Amino acid sequence: MVSEVSITTQGQSAPTFADYILKGDDMAGDAIVVEGLAYWYGKLAAVDHISFNVAEGEILGFLGPNGAGKTTTVKMLTGLLKPKAGKATLLGTDVAKNAEKVQTEIGVCFEETNLYEQMSAIENLNLFARLFGIHPFDANALLKRVGLGGREKDRVESYSKGMKQRLMVARSMVNRPRVLFLDEPTAGLDPASAEAIRSIILEERERGATVFLTTHDMMEADKLSDRVAFMNQGKIVVLDTPHNLKQQYGRRALKARVVTHSGELADREVILDTPETPNAIRELFAQERVVTVHSEEASLEDIFIRITGRGLVG
Amino acid sequence: MNLRIIGALISKDFSLFFRNRFFALMTPVGLIAYLVMYFMMPSSVNESLRLGLYAPATLPAFGQIQEEGLEIEAVGSEEALREAVTEGKYVAGVAIPADIMERLTQGQKPQINVYFASDTPGELKDAVGLVVRELAYAQIGQPLAIEVSEKILGRDMLGMQIPPRDRLRPLLVVLLIMLETLGLATLISEEVERRTIQALLVTPMTVKDLFAAKGTVGVILAFGQAALFMAIVGGIGRQPLIVLAVLMLGAVLVTGIGFLMASLAKDMMSVMAWGVVAFVILLIPSVSVLFPGTTTGWVKAIPSYYLVDTIHRAANFGSGWGDVWPNLAMLMGFGLVIVWIGIMALRRRFR
Repeated sequence: MVSEVSITTQGQSAPTFADYILKGDDMAGDAIVVEGLAYWYGKLAAVDHISFNVAEGEILGFLGPNGAGKTTTVKMLTGLLKPKAGKATLLGTDVAKNAEKVQTEIGVCFEETNLYEQMSAIENLNLFARLFGIHPFDANALLKRVGLGGREKDRVESYSKGMKQRLMVARSMVNRPRVLFLDEPTAGLDPASAEAIRSIILEERERGATVFLTTHDMMEADKLSDRVAFMNQGKIVVLDTPHNLKQQYGRRALKARVVTHSGELADREVILDTPETPNAIRELFAQERVVTVHSEEASLEDIFIRITGRGLVG
Repeated sequence: MNLRIIGALISKDFSLFFRNRFFALMTPVGLIAYLVMYFMMPSSVNESLRLGLYAPATLPAFGQIQEEGLEIEAVGSEEALREAVTEGKYVAGVAIPADIMERLTQGQKPQINVYFASDTPGELKDAVGLVVRELAYAQIGQPLAIEVSEKILGRDMLGMQIPPRDRLRPLLVVLLIMLETLGLATLISEEVERRTIQALLVTPMTVKDLFAAKGTVGVILAFGQAALFMAIVGGIGRQPLIVLAVLMLGAVLVTGIGFLMASLAKDMMSVMAWGVVAFVILLIPSVSVLFPGTTTGWVKAIPSYYLVDTIHRAANFGSGWGDVWPNLAMLMGFGLVIVWIGIMALRRRFR
């Protein structure tokens, strides 16, 4: 892990998890330890001997294009698949050897909606509370927390996609899991629903839960994750904080819109963080009629493409 | 296995079963329809052979052959006799010529017309022919030169024939338990297709818990319906323990078939398609009860044979454990093997 790196968090008064881990603060142990984990379908290596750790209370963004091996990794970590090689330990327990014990401590929100649609939201949650042996269980409180208060007795089949997704997230939190696996939790949702789910993820982290977030949404990963792992063709190609990745692989720029001599609008770009930057900015404002100006950071998607040579979608 | 988890799953499955409009409706409607079908069938068997007779000259010998099981009714004309036979009033009509006595005394050979309907079975024609010949011998004072000794193998069922409705019982029971199995298979296949199974598998629930719950739901649904039906139609009274035991084993068998169908089907429609195949095969042994002699020994290769045969024997003849235990053992063997195959096939779909 990186230590003694100074970072600035924008718009957040409280220190993030990244603050702790980057300062080498031994805030927590590892919730997930993965060593040489591998799985293959026939001759195709879906997951190719990957190793990483996720600390307790950390949000790890797990990124990669379709077919990269993300879902297979999650299946092995949650006990749905037995690894062909390597080992995954969750909260000190070998997942392959004692999946039932691990499953009492985890919550999983799948990408595809898999709710009992002919049952109400409250019945769905009560069922899972019974499976986890949670008694007493206040389903109403959990539904209110995800913004489904007032519709708790309606059958799930009458819910919108966003409501179903919020119910999926609520279901994954029934047992107050110590490790939460979220697979594309905001995919295809309207901005309000997506934002509601992001808030819940941050609240869960505040509670102390470790979050394993699989997503295609680079903005979301950037916003929520303490660290991100890029997975490509079954391997983890990079694992670091979004800030460090941008520092290492990104390119910051100043984007300006100017009015030319002929009266037309044109775009100008000044690369930041170079010795020539101050002069270039000075010249821009001295020689052009600047209409708008804003800074632009490299996105995680740009970095992913730069590292792997391919995009995230497809 | 965890009883708390199994209980939660059973309660969920019953709730979903009765929220499926088709099965919620078909469960009571099926039971009522089969009961109506049962009670509409004749409750007794007419064992007598009804013959129509046109005889202008009375033959004394006719009085002697009014045996048990043979009813002879006089008809006014040969034309009326033919019409009555055609309408099915008599299995055969015998027309005796007016001058029969004169011709017999003159040593001539008079002709007796025997009329049959076009669809009369050959064996019935033979039987009536024999009756007429016996009559002729008796009339001319020449008794048959043989002595017939009747020996009944097993219990003499004369006067105690099984009514058609009771012969139908095993068939209706198979239909009922198979209907419930379709519901079970639909529940499981939807669980797989909608991926709710994955949500369950990341909880402390084990695959054993899951099969225990699904199996219990399948057996309760099938056994409950069949036992209720048999109780209403009076099929449990003679050998209650045997009938309940065989229904329970039958419910286990069809639950295994339900697992197999669920492993092949993707939705309710494909469950129905596979269900039709299973229905046809499992119903074949019932035909041998409805129409004895129509099937041969190969029906014993069909597991449901041991279900229908045991129901037939225990409910209709009062057969005891000593008679039916081989059937029960075979049914249990088939049931366990099919449940095991069903579980193995389904486990592959859970991955």
